[in-house]
Amino acid sequence: MSAAAPSDDINLWFRVQAFLTAEARLLDDHALDAWLDLFSDDLRYWMPTITNRIGRDIDKSVSAFGHVAHFDDNKTSLTNRVKRLSTGMAWAETPRSRTRHLVSNVEVLAAEPNGTLQVRSNFLIYRSHLEYDAEIFSGVRHDTLRPHHNSWLICQRDIVLDQNVVTHKNLGIFF
Amino acid sequence: MRSHFEHLLDLNKGSLDRRVFSDPEIFELELERIFARCWLLLGHESMLPKTNDFFTTYMGRDSVIVTRQPNGSIGCFLNMCRHRGNRVCRADSGNARSFSCPFHGWTFGSNGALTNVPGYKEIYLEKLDLQAHGLVPVAKIDQYKGLIFATFDANAPSLSDYLGDMAWYLDMILDRREGGIEFLPGTHKWLVHTNWKFPVDNFIGDSYHGPVSHKSAWVSGFEGMPRRKSGYGYEGFQVCPGGGHGFGTRWAENREQVFEMALPEFLEYEKSRLEESITRLGDLRGLHFSPMHASIFPNVSLLWQGSAIRVWHPKGPKLTEAWGWCFVDKAAPDDYKREKALHMVQRHGTSGTWEADDVDNWVQCHSSSEGYVARQYPQNLEMGLGDEINDPRAIHPDIRGRLGKFQSEINQRSFYTHWAKLMDDTTAPQVPTVGAASQGAPA
Repeated sequence: MSAAAPSDDINLWFRVQAFLTAEARLLDDHALDAWLDLFSDDLRYWMPTITNRIGRDIDKSVSAFGHVAHFDDNKTSLTNRVKRLSTGMAWAETPRSRTRHLVSNVEVLAAEPNGTLQVRSNFLIYRSHLEYDAEIFSGVRHDTLRPHHNSWLICQRDIVLDQNVVTHKNLGIFF
Repeated sequence: MRSHFEHLLDLNKGSLDRRVFSDPEIFELELERIFARCWLLLGHESMLPKTNDFFTTYMGRDSVIVTRQPNGSIGCFLNMCRHRGNRVCRADSGNARSFSCPFHGWTFGSNGALTNVPGYKEIYLEKLDLQAHGLVPVAKIDQYKGLIFATFDANAPSLSDYLGDMAWYLDMILDRREGGIEFLPGTHKWLVHTNWKFPVDNFIGDSYHGPVSHKSAWVSGFEGMPRRKSGYGYEGFQVCPGGGHGFGTRWAENREQVFEMALPEFLEYEKSRLEESITRLGDLRGLHFSPMHASIFPNVSLLWQGSAIRVWHPKGPKLTEAWGWCFVDKAAPDDYKREKALHMVQRHGTSGTWEADDVDNWVQCHSSSEGYVARQYPQNLEMGLGDEINDPRAIHPDIRGRLGKFQSEINQRSFYTHWAKLMDDTTAPQVPTVGAASQGAPA
């Protein structure tokens, strides 16, 4: 992993951080239509599975793209997931989970000449559903941000969850 | 109560005592009388392509290692050092000639044999019986068309007898194309706070819940199949081959109806493979039956169109670990396999738009088995009681087993009847003798 290229650009770093914080607010406020607007039409939204590996296989612990994943969505399927939640019959999210997305350790790892950024961030998400169902999800995201109207569109989001067996009843929220 | 499990199920009324889900004593007995006796699914041979490939899984609550042994056969052993009981393998999968215990270093070959004990000469004075301290092998291991099963009970029937006519119906997945199926790489694993029997019950015969449970997914672009406007959809049956197994299937009158039931993204492939399937399986299994959902006793579930196969590992009366894989015809083109994986991931699994709603229903059903008062009121399983199809062979001469209407709880009643029969049988499972040689499954 290269060192953060524009590490001295505090203005850029602040703007990216503000962008990701605002995105987290939309998720926690269930403003999912506005959240979808942050993603490009050629989106890849992907969360691989994690396996316990040892010895020479240790690098294979994150499953490869194309293998069975936790999320493997494009803009259309992600939009459909949001649409499902608004039907009033998505029982797993009726009522909605209470979530708090905490995003930190934001690093701008690379900036291309056309303004496209590679951004890494950590997340800690608390989710509470119905009475007692509660879980903390932690992990890392690698985002590709493309310049758009003085801000960005997320055109790729790779999410690595720090769990082998998912200890919650579903991954019915967004990351 | 222990010798009266059959009384928990009243077949005349179609009612089931809710204690079968919540009673810790019943759960403990299930580990012995169901999970230490029955043939349990380990995985698919495509998960072990090379010598010394291995993966770990569970049989009941027992952790096991499944290996491709040097002689080419498949072995399965308790993942337990014979010294202190430590797990000798901490990886989910990989390739290893041997497994060395992280505690004191006892080392076992991929065939289970104890090959090295630190201090064997100096400390044990060569008195330790190495032969008798290999990894504990399963009693029997076998394959059915690529699916690997094992049992810890030496008295268990053969796998073929255990599956019975269900095997013949499973050919609709396993043998519809030359080369059979493969599991795509990647396993979903997640925890559900419910009893393992709720999901098995749902997959074995509940074609009733779809329009309510899954409507949100259907109307949002996650269809399972194209819908007909009237009523509850296509014609079909619940098929009850016995042995506690069962499945639900649509009935297609002709080729056009098979294609009508295909989602647009799979239509071209369905057209390309159908004649081969009819040739291999005949017209009942190749054309008329378009299966939807199934369970293999005790804890395997399948979705044909969803390409999902699932094992429900029991962890406690109220805790189940779901493991899911995606299966595809091995001979299918790569773009079809990719599309099937997306179909499965987006509907059936950790983030599945169908799965999530099922899981919450099972969790809530389970909760009702925990209240003292609620527990006095049995579950209702009377759908289709006394309304079985009298002469299945009149519908098609090749049909095996009993037949209910597509919306019928015939398979659930059969599942719990078989469950009660095993639970009432007090014969202890005959677990393998210490040091017994492993019986490999045919390569």
